Amino acid sequence: MKLNIEGLLVYFPYDYIYPEQYSYMLELKRTLDAKGHGVLEMPSGTGKTISLLSLIVAYQKAYPLEVTKLVYCSRTVPEIEKVVEELRKLMDYYAKQTGAKNDFLALALSSRKNLCIHPEVSSLRFGKEVDGKCHSLTASYIRAQHHSNPSQPVCQFYEQFDAVGRQVPIPPGIYNLDDLKDFGRRKGWCPYFLARYAILHANIVVYSYHYLLDPKIADLVSKELTKKSVVVFDEAHNIDNVCIDSMSVNITRRTLDRCQTNVETLQNTISRIKETDAAKLREEYRRLVEGLKEANVARETDMYLSNPVLPDEILQEAVPGSIRTAEHFVGFIKRFLEYLKARLRIHHVVQESAPQFLKDIYEKVCIDRKPLRFCAERLRSLLRTLEIADIADFSAITLISHFATLVSTYSKGFTIIIEPFEDRTPTIANPVLHFSCMDPSIAIKPVFGRFQSVIITSGTLSPLDIYPRILDFHPVTTASFTMTLARTCLCPLIVGRGNDQVAMTSKFETREDFAVIRNYGNLLLEMSAIVPDGIVAFFTSYIYMENIVASWYEQGILENIQRNKLIFIETQDAAETSMALEKYQEACENGRGAILLSVARGKVSEGIDFVHHFGRAVIMFGVPYVYTQSRILKARLEYLRDQFQIRENDFLTFDAMRHAAQCVGRAIRGKTDYGLMIFADKRYARADKRGKLPRWIQEHLTDGSLNLTIDETVQLAKHFLRQMAQPFRQEDQLGLSLLTLEQLQSEDMLQKIAQIAQQA
Amino acid sequence: MDEEPERAKRWEGGYERTWEVLKEDESGSLKATVEDILFQAKRKRVFEGHGQVRLGMMRHLFVIIDSSRSMEDQDLKPNRLTSTLKLMEFFVEEYFDQNPISQIGIITTKNKRAEKLTDLAGNPKKHLAALKKAVDSTCVGEPSLYNSLNVAMQTLKHMPAHTSKEILVIFSSLTTCDPANIYELIKTLNALKIRVSVIGLSAEVRVCTILTRETGGSYNVILDESHFKELLMLHVKPPPASSSSECSLIRMGFPQHVIASMSDQDAKPSFSMLHLDSTGEPGLTLGGYYCPQCRAKYTELPVECKVCGLTLVSAPHLARSFHHLFPLEAFQETPLEEYEGERYLLAWHVKKCSAWSVISSYMTHCTAVLAVCRLTGHPDVRWPDYKTSVYFSTRN
Repeated sequence: MKLNIEGLLVYFPYDYIYPEQYSYMLELKRTLDAKGHGVLEMPSGTGKTISLLSLIVAYQKAYPLEVTKLVYCSRTVPEIEKVVEELRKLMDYYAKQTGAKNDFLALALSSRKNLCIHPEVSSLRFGKEVDGKCHSLTASYIRAQHHSNPSQPVCQFYEQFDAVGRQVPIPPGIYNLDDLKDFGRRKGWCPYFLARYAILHANIVVYSYHYLLDPKIADLVSKELTKKSVVVFDEAHNIDNVCIDSMSVNITRRTLDRCQTNVETLQNTISRIKETDAAKLREEYRRLVEGLKEANVARETDMYLSNPVLPDEILQEAVPGSIRTAEHFVGFIKRFLEYLKARLRIHHVVQESAPQFLKDIYEKVCIDRKPLRFCAERLRSLLRTLEIADIADFSAITLISHFATLVSTYSKGFTIIIEPFEDRTPTIANPVLHFSCMDPSIAIKPVFGRFQSVIITSGTLSPLDIYPRILDFHPVTTASFTMTLARTCLCPLIVGRGNDQVAMTSKFETREDFAVIRNYGNLLLEMSAIVPDGIVAFFTSYIYMENIVASWYEQGILENIQRNKLIFIETQDAAETSMALEKYQEACENGRGAILLSVARGKVSEGIDFVHHFGRAVIMFGVPYVYTQSRILKARLEYLRDQFQIRENDFLTFDAMRHAAQCVGRAIRGKTDYGLMIFADKRYARADKRGKLPRWIQEHLTDGSLNLTIDETVQLAKHFLRQMAQPFRQEDQLGLSLLTLEQLQSEDMLQKIAQIAQQA
Repeated sequence: MDEEPERAKRWEGGYERTWEVLKEDESGSLKATVEDILFQAKRKRVFEGHGQVRLGMMRHLFVIIDSSRSMEDQDLKPNRLTSTLKLMEFFVEEYFDQNPISQIGIITTKNKRAEKLTDLAGNPKKHLAALKKAVDSTCVGEPSLYNSLNVAMQTLKHMPAHTSKEILVIFSSLTTCDPANIYELIKTLNALKIRVSVIGLSAEVRVCTILTRETGGSYNVILDESHFKELLMLHVKPPPASSSSECSLIRMGFPQHVIASMSDQDAKPSFSMLHLDSTGEPGLTLGGYYCPQCRAKYTELPVECKVCGLTLVSAPHLARSFHHLFPLEAFQETPLEEYEGERYLLAWHVKKCSAWSVISSYMTHCTAVLAVCRLTGHPDVRWPDYKTSVYFSTRN
């Protein structure tokens, strides 16, 4: 259908539209008009992706000079594929309606592992291996060697691409990963490098977060994206953690050991080259004297996305003399390494700031701040000069060099914590140096700074005001949309007490309480008897889950549950978990029924959807607070309090509630889906917790569904499940939660739509 | 809705939150209640009817009754099993009343096994007796959908192609314990053109959804006891026949009821053929139906003759089956304001025709026909499809 969104003609590839989609597009259009950033929350399963795509594509077509590119960031490969499929549908619709040939180029980009078509390389199992092997076939000097010595193997796909691929642009169309591979095979070009090259002139790019947020990768891939792009972060509820992870460094003794061997290799190579090809090293030296001027010029002319690891000041200077020659640099690294080793040889926990660390390192081993800052850049240059093929082996030393640069560049927003052992195993010495980023805005700042519009969207972003604060940006629109429903297909219930009136809570003081554990068991048992097919239960942590399940086993509760349903448990082992998931789905499918016990913040809670019968009920045992005794967390909380005026408790609750919402949201993946959401902790009933749930859940949380006993829960659930089992067809939704074009244009519907979006 | 006759006592009912029901009726809100949707669906069903569709008039129906542990649940009073069996008795009577030339059989499943309670037969008496006896049986273990469907299939697959082969599952449990992959069985059922319908007593189970969708049956879940009854009654009507089913002619006998008065000297009491196997009651009677082919005597119709295998029915039976083919025309809902005419009749008309005919069973639908008939004098309204209406018709 063709929509008119405030004067913009939008082609929408479906015959029906949800009211909230229309509202979402309105807000999105306003954001683009203002050339600002936006935070938009809309429940999953209401067609966020297609709304985003159809509006932005329409915008691109209408104002080709205002918005030139859409960069769509998603989390996982299946999600990326889904986005591309939606896009394909949209483009087909455009072609059908307008009759014109599609002139849009849209493509997905993923790692070499997913795109490689080289018969040997692509058969490798791990991403790192593929990257390393690919590098050893395509690095420039390898190819140079190949010229003189044809027996040196190279990747013929890359050679082909390099020979002709850049001149002939990839024809317009929609390419997902498989399409790219097919195209690559047909032409004999390397799909990975083709895609990386093609994103520069593509209209739409779909890839993973890390290509923009992780400074190491962003520098390679996304550096040259134009400023007039719209960047969308989908499923962005964890974006702050992604930012932090991308800037944090953890150094263990093993890292240092591996780094040691790296240094030795470097040393050997240098001495060898010195004998054979001293000119090369001299050439490098000359380059370093000239400094990183080229990069500086590029940044000034606004060509590149800036890299937070490569701070501005560095670019204006030449590499300091003390690390300019290769031997000196290696010596420097060695000293640094020895210092780190010494620091790890401790028996008590140390926490210090970056300036403290720098002062200490200056006093102990006379390493200045300045050369440290150039460490990452210098190492890269050296590796290039030395022509070392297998970069993967040098991950340890690269990590150390990043650490050196970061610690000397940022005096604020980072903390260094050295722990001699893990808290859980105080007897086993396992020293770790955490260089922890506390400010997610550092990593994302270049993105907000560079691109015209950045949209952050997810099903669970409540409370909306906190994201702009912790990411430090000023959105022009923040809105939360509810789900319009023809029937109330979600049923959030807060269970606060057992039948014996003992309060149910995962609070630290009472979590070992026998009565609490028993009541949790009873709740699961009762639910297993009345909920059909699949139930997913989330615990706050692996340890807590283990304790509870062991205790249930002793009390015989587990046995009783197993009479109703099979039980599967998520473990930290990915292979085991995916096996459990597979069996779980099989049991749901053939009528046996199953329960999946899993952990909030685990793999299941984040990436796996439980549509329809795979998740008829989600039970959240306890409030999934993050482990509060962790020093990194404490440091971060302190930082948040000092810098952003966010109180510790507010942040902890926010974090716990967004994870809880993520978990329970797994069950509802659309309007025809239905599911129970059971929050089994009395603390959920408090206004400060409840108020932080997304609006589309809160809306259905009435006073009557707070602080229930198990009995009451069972009654309500039974009633709900029977109601939901009644036949439900598309016609029932029409006019209420599903609109045709005429219905959309009616006056009172437009009024209703205006109420859907709630500005925060 | 507020005065449903068979509603349980207040204190026996489930945990209800009446204040919320009130809230949902608020006008202008986007929320439509499930009741509303149900009401619409029901209205549609009543009014649409089948139209001119071929119906499978000769039905062979197996009813599978779940007797697993979950049937002891007391959300239906006094418990699910008793309530179900009571309704089943009613269903069996109703079924033979509406489908005199059809047969029914009952299977129970518990403890991972399936057991045939009664074989396919055309006589309600045996089924009713079996159902009465089943009340005392205990509910244990898990049901097995696979096994019970398999048992039903073994019999149904030998039935001739012109009959409508159906299975109705009354499924209380949420799990099933199957010895093999049930999806294979569903494929077989589909190939044999056996239609499986399910009435769930607790919630929607995925495997039942697939089962009914693949075999072309219906899947419903009850809300309460009266809804249960309603859903059960839906299965009284013959379903549309699949286009591929064969046509064939069937021989039937129409025996006359011979009434011998006590004063008649020639009359001798004799045994009915039916009493040959039932030992309980004294079988000697005076009159009866005599098979036109072999003169075997029966006291009740319809029945399949034990001697010559002829299907014996009476003309009204056939006529009753026949009416399914010509459903009533839909009523027009007329708001009170728009109607011009006699006021007192009108109120009745509107009430009976629109709201009432939808809410309660089609018995009221029938009386409504008469009302319209009286009001408008519309001549071509057909005689309603319920036996009680016969009395109305004769009275008018």
